[in-house]
Amino acid sequence: MAFFEILGNRVIRMLSGFAGTIAFSWKVFLRIFQRKTYSSAMREVLVNQIYFTSVQILPLFLLVSIFFGSLFIGIVFTLLKELGLTQFIGHVLMGLIVTELSPFLTVLLITLRSSAAINTEMAVMKVNREIKTLEIFRIDIINYLVMPRIINGIISIVLLSSLFSIVLLASGILFSRVIFGMNMDVYSNLVLNSTDFSDIVISLCKCAVYGFFITLIPIRFGLRASRELTSIPVVVSQGMVNVFGAILMIEVLSLITKLL
Amino acid sequence: MNIALIKQYHENMPKRQARRLALTSLERFGLGAIALRRNPALGNEERFCVMLLRAAMVKDAMILIDQPFQMVPHLKDSGFIMNALKKIDDLYASCHIFDYRWMQDKYGGL
Repeated sequence: MAFFEILGNRVIRMLSGFAGTIAFSWKVFLRIFQRKTYSSAMREVLVNQIYFTSVQILPLFLLVSIFFGSLFIGIVFTLLKELGLTQFIGHVLMGLIVTELSPFLTVLLITLRSSAAINTEMAVMKVNREIKTLEIFRIDIINYLVMPRIINGIISIVLLSSLFSIVLLASGILFSRVIFGMNMDVYSNLVLNSTDFSDIVISLCKCAVYGFFITLIPIRFGLRASRELTSIPVVVSQGMVNVFGAILMIEVLSLITKLL
Repeated sequence: MNIALIKQYHENMPKRQARRLALTSLERFGLGAIALRRNPALGNEERFCVMLLRAAMVKDAMILIDQPFQMVPHLKDSGFIMNALKKIDDLYASCHIFDYRWMQDKYGGL
């Protein structure tokens, strides 16, 4: 009986946590469309956040995308040649690499770098009672702290994922020439003929959803810190585990959407 | 620059204007040089002045100082506090200081 009680309690706690996250997400989502959210102070934080997340990471991001993208394209093209599936290059490039791999790798990189930082920052602010001070001055935490980070998450993931796709497609030009002896016109035609507008829309929507949740979940968990310093590592690890859970869930949901 | 934040958020004041206002206010205390410093880098007096200014940034501010000698423990009397309040008396509507009765001596004739 004790086993079922513990199991039931855990399930209830997990479900109520999930419901809480969804309710918080809805509240935050509605604020995106409210004009008063975009105060001068919020815009300043937003610009800083975009700089920290999208601009500072650019050299590393480009290096990773060139290295990893080229390696992946090289392996995929070689495999396609060996299997005699050269005619499917375009479909593989657009359907798998651009719409699936780019958002996934981008979100992993940004999660490792920015989500962890956001989670810790929020927890430290809570412990140092900075959040309390903001509340004393009637500064809305959602408008001032949450919204800039979430909008930054959406913008950054969409832009960086697009950049990753561009790098992959560009390295595809090189590899299609080396492996298949294909010139740029043939390659461009193959890619354009395999491009499905709905795939790109789904991919961009997925990036936006990724951006929303990989910033929202760390903020939510960071704000759960108590006044004890020891609560910081606890909420950071909980937040990061939940972010990875959310990434997997979004990935599965997007695949289901594609299948329907 | 936390002082500027209040005006930026509540009055939607542009960043530059809010910063200029914060800097001008800090200059009243001769503390313009600390504008970009963070809290841990400030001395007790500097922190007190910054907190005072931040409180005064709200419209029709009613300032309430709770045990000021805890914030600036080495002060012998309330001279510094009163002087600081006088320098920005145009920025707030009223000010109240709360402290324990046994600290009365430090406030002199107040």
